[in-house]
Amino acid sequence: MSECPAGPATVDLVCAFAVTRTPPDGAALAAVTGHEEGGPLRVLRAGGLCLVVQDVPAALFDEDALAERLNRPDDLERCARAHHRGVEAAAARGPVVPLPMATLYRGDRSAERAVTGREAVLDELLDRLRDRTEWAVKAHAVEGPDGPAAGSGAHRDRGAGGRDYLSRVSARRRDRRGGHAKALAEAEKLDAELRRYAVAATRHRPQSERLTGRRSPQVLNAAYLVENAESAAFTRALARLTADGRLTAVEVGASGPWIPYSFARWDEEPGRTLREVGA
Amino acid sequence: MTDLDHRYAAPDTQPYAPVTGNLADLLERVLDKGIVIAGDIKIDLLDIELLTIRLRLFIASVDTAKKAGIDWWETDPALSSRAARDALAEENARLRARLDALEDALEEAPREDAEDTREVAR
Repeated sequence: MSECPAGPATVDLVCAFAVTRTPPDGAALAAVTGHEEGGPLRVLRAGGLCLVVQDVPAALFDEDALAERLNRPDDLERCARAHHRGVEAAAARGPVVPLPMATLYRGDRSAERAVTGREAVLDELLDRLRDRTEWAVKAHAVEGPDGPAAGSGAHRDRGAGGRDYLSRVSARRRDRRGGHAKALAEAEKLDAELRRYAVAATRHRPQSERLTGRRSPQVLNAAYLVENAESAAFTRALARLTADGRLTAVEVGASGPWIPYSFARWDEEPGRTLREVGA
Repeated sequence: MTDLDHRYAAPDTQPYAPVTGNLADLLERVLDKGIVIAGDIKIDLLDIELLTIRLRLFIASVDTAKKAGIDWWETDPALSSRAARDALAEENARLRARLDALEDALEEAPREDAEDTREVAR
């Protein structure tokens, strides 16, 4: 039954980082450390494509070990950064399809089979990702003052009667709702405008306030796939759109250029993932 | 108001400039919807599915995961009882919004209705 009978005491798994047609040269690869616990990065041919992989000890990368390690923030971060290094190394000479972190195979042969079995999808993805990078843009509602001074100062001086109180409370509520609606509207406008400079766009789930550490909600968590030739235009547009005074209800943050992770889901239908916007 | 966190490199020499490390951004990308999507690990090797490992991660340590910035499966109804609570919270929020709207409508109603308003408000 087992594919590796009489294996040595320490069994290795194959950790795959990315698929590419243009494997990095050996020296470049040797200069990069993947997972610290594993061996050197290496290229694995799979049909017309290549995988950048690394042998990693099963004792640290099997189910239990991974589940435990990935639940420790430090280890999770180390693992994520190691994965990103591996993907970057694979991308040195051309487009890649980055694989999700902790894509593990039992050995070279099954890794190869996984790639050759999806060669058409991967080829198409590589074509569409070539010379394109990803930009991340997030917008948060501007934090309004939360106290009674918010907006309706007129109500404040009007006695302390029950009705006055109620009307103050509801005025505040209206302000808050209005502010949120305005933030959402501005985020939509920003998104629509940025899509004009992108060949595809997708949204990540907005991060919770607990995660962002802000009191105001995230109203946009978007990723844009942008032609390298359009990168400057994209960032100019972003800068123009967020220039002082234009958006009053949201604060905008951006990062990039990223390897287009968000547009390289090879287990999904490419048509769905890479819904091109515009032409 | 913009916090452009990027660096340019000559596009022909280095297509992917280092992205200064926002861990949440990175995790959002390298993890996507879960930990393991492809590879033997989900069938041959360990006989687990993606959902299984996500679920186990979830159960193992919600707090640790949250600290590290992964909490999106909490809102995935398939994965957690917390999601069920979130569904309740959402419904609660919807109801509150309706209540707000109703109260506003009452307040804006003509004076004649003030008696009713007071009664409702009590």
